[in-house]
Amino acid sequence: MRLFQKSNINFMGHRKIAYVFSTVLILVGLVSLFVRGLNYGIDFKGGSEVVIRFEQSADVGTVRSIMRGAGVKGSVKQYGMDRSLLIKTDFQGDTSTLKSLISNSLATQLPSNPAEILSIQAVGPSIASDMKMSALKALAAALIGILLYVSIRFEIKFAAAGVVAIFHDVLMVLGLFSLLGGIFDYMPLEVDQSIIAAFLTIAGYSITDTVVVYDRIRERIRGQKPSDYERIFNESLNQTLSRTVITSGTTMLTVLVLFFFAGPAIRGFAFAMFTGILVGTYSSIFVAAPIVFDWQRRAKNPIKLKGA
Amino acid sequence: MKNNTFKLILIAVVALVSVWSIWPTYRDYALTKKLNSFDSRADSLKFALDHREEIEQAHDKSLKLGLDLKGGMHLVMEVDILDLIEQKAWNKDENFNRIMDSVRQRAGESNENVVNILAAEFRKKNIKLSRYFYDVRDSDQEVISKLNAEAQDALIRAKEIIRNRIDQYGVAEPVIQTQGSRRLIIELSGVTDEARVRRLLMGTAKLEFKLVKEPQQLLRAVERVGTVSLQAPSRPAQADSAQASAGEVVAKKLSEVIGVMPNGQVFTPAYAHDLVAAALKRDDVNALLPQDTQLLLSAKPEQTANGEKYYLLYLVQKTPELTGGVITEAKATFSSQDSQPEVLMSMNDEGTSKWARITGANIGKQIAIVLDGAVYSAPVVQSRIPSGNSVINGIGSLEEAKDLEIILKAGSLPAPVRIIEERTIGPSLGSDYIRDGLLSVTWGFTAVVIFMIIYYNKAGIAADLALVLNILIVISVLAGFSAALTLPGIAGIVLTMGMAVDANVLIYERIREELADGKSLKMAIDAGYNKAFSSILDSHVTTLAAAFLLYVYGVGPVQGFAVTLMIGTAASLFTAIVVTKVLFDMFLDSKLMNDKSFG
Repeated sequence: MRLFQKSNINFMGHRKIAYVFSTVLILVGLVSLFVRGLNYGIDFKGGSEVVIRFEQSADVGTVRSIMRGAGVKGSVKQYGMDRSLLIKTDFQGDTSTLKSLISNSLATQLPSNPAEILSIQAVGPSIASDMKMSALKALAAALIGILLYVSIRFEIKFAAAGVVAIFHDVLMVLGLFSLLGGIFDYMPLEVDQSIIAAFLTIAGYSITDTVVVYDRIRERIRGQKPSDYERIFNESLNQTLSRTVITSGTTMLTVLVLFFFAGPAIRGFAFAMFTGILVGTYSSIFVAAPIVFDWQRRAKNPIKLKGA
Repeated sequence: MKNNTFKLILIAVVALVSVWSIWPTYRDYALTKKLNSFDSRADSLKFALDHREEIEQAHDKSLKLGLDLKGGMHLVMEVDILDLIEQKAWNKDENFNRIMDSVRQRAGESNENVVNILAAEFRKKNIKLSRYFYDVRDSDQEVISKLNAEAQDALIRAKEIIRNRIDQYGVAEPVIQTQGSRRLIIELSGVTDEARVRRLLMGTAKLEFKLVKEPQQLLRAVERVGTVSLQAPSRPAQADSAQASAGEVVAKKLSEVIGVMPNGQVFTPAYAHDLVAAALKRDDVNALLPQDTQLLLSAKPEQTANGEKYYLLYLVQKTPELTGGVITEAKATFSSQDSQPEVLMSMNDEGTSKWARITGANIGKQIAIVLDGAVYSAPVVQSRIPSGNSVINGIGSLEEAKDLEIILKAGSLPAPVRIIEERTIGPSLGSDYIRDGLLSVTWGFTAVVIFMIIYYNKAGIAADLALVLNILIVISVLAGFSAALTLPGIAGIVLTMGMAVDANVLIYERIREELADGKSLKMAIDAGYNKAFSSILDSHVTTLAAAFLLYVYGVGPVQGFAVTLMIGTAASLFTAIVVTKVLFDMFLDSKLMNDKSFG
């Protein structure tokens, strides 16, 4: 089976449209980030979360009023799709009090529908701010590391364009998380540690896609006149198009499996990965290579590439 | 061809080592299943005894499951080093307290070394540390290094004491690590009674013997304190759940929740306990009391005839006569008189002689036995006690008495500890996770395998075989290095399956191009592998780097994801390149392949 056989798409000719498209989407995301902010999970915000499962499905409103009556301040939401609910409150150092408060009030007021406490998580504010710092450090270190590696393997223009593409991808996903955060009970899209894991994986994945395209350009550009660059960039993109789409395809396939089968704890991660790979594939074709091309045209001197 | 023989042997060795490493996991699973299959417990016990060695060995070397899959507690505790430092200081004044407040605030926001924060704050105020710490002639540097040594020692001691307590309580394979300068990470799997574990870990078990003041003094003290408002004047009492629920009690003065009984005992009703306890800790309340005294509440409530619960108040001398440091042995038991649980204690030589002197000098007076700031009992001294024995009674249950025994024997913590992060996963959620995880692995694998065959034909089969080996390697490395498999780890495996075939896709697409250029199959394959290698290397290095950073900066479960991603990516360099190439060479030799084999 073959897709994209002998494709001949004029990517470079349409790059301005892609620039506008990406800029608009990122701006929308940024506006949302400033206006709506992010739906932080307890990893980064601190607080307590209790997951309870009922024997039969329970009405969220009823449980909410029971919790309010018991003095548990916070929110009650559906967790995943089955009979589980998620209760969120402020950070509690002593979770056993919280636990007994919840289980006692439910046992007395909903005796016909026994509930079981599945998990309790409590993260104090000092740990939360610590984790936030670590996450930022990890992302920064990843970007710097990638910048250095690609600079060594190619040249600074390629590396910088690759990092721009990563920023593009992460900002898009972040914007999406901000826009859709908290809207669906099925996937609350909270930003927690697993999302940072997704971002780092996306960064690695995005640069992988980009590097494959770069590799092809490097291979073809040797000894060519700068006037031929547009044609070479286009041909390289077309030649790698099949590979780019197929690997994104297999990875997205597995991520979709995670999204649907791996349960609510992984769902946010899977969603971030799915959109990240989608955007990452797009950006390696429509963002990274075009930026190198435009930069090259302004710089005037021909590309001198290192490496094989 | 000689080259290929070597590669074949290499592949065989890798495959064998993988299977060998995974084998105990399979045996463990099979044996557990067999054990559960017996109808009677006697049969299963007999089987377990007969195969004891085998079962233990298999279990020992099998793939470990993480806390989220097995169920258990993950705790991060903070040792309050600042409290320790405060105890070390002398000459404390307003200025000192103000500096300590800002240090406490800054310390609460990060994991920075407390001593460094302290030194920085003092430097900002231009005050020498030696004004409050150690010798006046010490330089700042000397004070800092002394305090640092003290803090480090406290953390290590806290870790040892907590390990002692956990070992005595009995948890299989506990993990206790220090993190930074003041945190402890504790992982306990399969814990059923979290409340009890928490009590064991947090219990400072600060045992003190304090002299109880005369009843008249108590009444006078209560009268003076009664005029104070119940809520703290400036900032509201810290919001924790107990106080939040009691916060609805509207009471203005302390006297409204403290009463005096006909027999002269002072009490507070049970509903006001937390509020009164908080009020008694306040400085403005303590300032009203006579020099070197304090008001303490009883640990357990008493009951009136009509069932109302109340706590007693005691006025005691603040400086303890004796502390728990002298306790050498503790034993939980039932008292001979009323069969209530109690803890018997014996003291070392120094404690014994002190105790004899104290009891001898205070015959007819009450001595309060105070544990963590609550009075457990206040017996009247009948005679001089020369044996160094003492007893704590007024304990709620035998279980509590046993915990107390453990804590007293293990020693008290050098400084208070606080839980700053807790994640408890119940066993049923863990088995849900395992089910979801296995389902994802199965479906992910099926999807990728079928896709590769449809898209790449016979070459797809080669990639699929490589994928199987890749997954085997990931699991065997996890099992071999005793790294625990977590739910994010499983997600990492599923993701790796999607990304591992990436190398094959790169190669196959290249081979297709070479074939389209009219090269022979053999030449196309060789060219495909050679030309795709640079891209494969670059892409693997970047993925590995990202996963490595995640491992370094991530915490707990996310590290599990990073580990499987790293192993999977590194393994795919071998499986996707070496294994498939050998397979193609073999296929070519046996004429199993033609130009159509790449789809």
